[in-house]
Amino acid sequence: MAKILMKGCEAVAEAAVRGGCRFFAGYPITPQNEIPEYLSWRLPEVGGAFVQGESEVASISMVYGASAGGTRAMTSSSGPGISLKAEGISYLSSTKLPAFIVNVSRGGPGLGSIQPAQQDYLQATKAMGHGGFRLMVFAPATVQEAVDIAYDAFEYAERDRNPVLMLMDGCLGAIMETVELPPMKDITGKETAAWNVKRYPGEKRSPRALTPVYPEMFLEYENKQRAKMYEAWQKNDVKVEEFMLGDAEYVVAAYGITARLAKEAILRLRAEGFRVGMIRPITLYPFPKKSFDGLDYSLVKGIIDIELAIPAQMRDDIALEVKDRAPIYEFGHSGGILMNDEDTYAQIKKIVTGGDK
Amino acid sequence: MKTTVVVSGSGGQGIMSIGTMLAQTAVSDGREATFLPEYGPEQRGGSAKCTVVIDDREIISPLAKKCDVFIAMNEQGYKKFIADLKADGILVYNSSRVTSEIKRTDITAVPVPADDICTELGSMKCANIVMIGALTAVSDIVTKDGFASHIEEKFAAKNPGLFKTDIEALEKGAEYGKKINS
Repeated sequence: MAKILMKGCEAVAEAAVRGGCRFFAGYPITPQNEIPEYLSWRLPEVGGAFVQGESEVASISMVYGASAGGTRAMTSSSGPGISLKAEGISYLSSTKLPAFIVNVSRGGPGLGSIQPAQQDYLQATKAMGHGGFRLMVFAPATVQEAVDIAYDAFEYAERDRNPVLMLMDGCLGAIMETVELPPMKDITGKETAAWNVKRYPGEKRSPRALTPVYPEMFLEYENKQRAKMYEAWQKNDVKVEEFMLGDAEYVVAAYGITARLAKEAILRLRAEGFRVGMIRPITLYPFPKKSFDGLDYSLVKGIIDIELAIPAQMRDDIALEVKDRAPIYEFGHSGGILMNDEDTYAQIKKIVTGGDK
Repeated sequence: MKTTVVVSGSGGQGIMSIGTMLAQTAVSDGREATFLPEYGPEQRGGSAKCTVVIDDREIISPLAKKCDVFIAMNEQGYKKFIADLKADGILVYNSSRVTSEIKRTDITAVPVPADDICTELGSMKCANIVMIGALTAVSDIVTKDGFASHIEEKFAAKNPGLFKTDIEALEKGAEYGKKINS
């Protein structure tokens, strides 16, 4: 299929539809408005439904309802709106309902700015709501990768009966680049999913109930099951790009748009003879622990964490694996200020040549 | 070869249209392109900027500090980004609105009175197309014919009147660009 030029948000929306999304509820916020705008006309074309809710809380609750009815349901927002949806996301996870949630992230905290940032890492990976549950968190670096993740999000969500989160920076939501769209998935039969509360004609099973409320013993049992699921993710579902690590003396850690700036800088530095590589997590949770733990620390002189967040947030996860075997440097911007290729190159070079020690 | 184009001006001047149209023309031509808009919350009147990167290969970083081509639609946009144009770069500026004296001597500067040309053509909507016309005469990032076929696809059926004006605007702009080249 020919590549076409598409805006990140719109490509994600189309990929979700092709991946089986048939319900969307959301509330406007920049920089993700192109997702609901696109789905408002696209979903009715495929027999789906689009609702602009009266609030974020209402929207995530509608996603809860649609998912309980066996429909592949999705919502999207940006930082402030995702915070409002946190309660509903926790309920989805508790009730073991699949859903696809996209955070097109902007500067924060608070209302912040409408410009791109990566300041929701901790929220996404550590506590996307109360009660200590986890979600699989994907962080694409290109529009194509965002398309591929959105297309398969419901497969993970339904396998685990747990919401899946895609964390993409506003830059990737707004950018237009070439993509190849996957074919439409056949979702016939999904309506009879194991959690569907609706009984269809001919179905002989007894009534089914879904609840986010459990007696203590059962709640503990469920949390133990969840812990096993997180371990299985760590074992089977980590996605990571390891770039030029073989002989690397300095290893850049970056995800999303930042990793693209870093990659270009690394190619330039390599051409100058500097041994720099990169670990780019694609799943932020499960975190690519082995990539960091398994580095050859007799060679590695430093880890350089680059994020659109001050202070850097992924650093804690990196530090747990590096275990003081190499120093961790960090730089970046936040609040909606983007880096450019020259700055990124200069900052990495400064560290590599010892100028920052 | 990787070429970075920056377009700046104020909201409503068709800044984003120039960017998306350049990117789309390049993609239709079989090349890779990225388009990144940057603007504030305003619909009109706020400052607007976009960056287009065109390459024969996969584009790794779509964010560049320095550009090869700079299209300045107004004075404010010109002042803000002229320092980011590389030496030997091309500046195409709307001389109806950019009033500063162009001091840099290490670049090719192409003045185009885009607003005045629009007034002549009777449509204030085509200033951005005039600028692209001029660009096609001084750079090969997109060709005039390639761009014309893109706007034909986009507007010919939907708005034949606008399409006709746009083609005239493209030709007028190209004439101005050629003056610099000769």
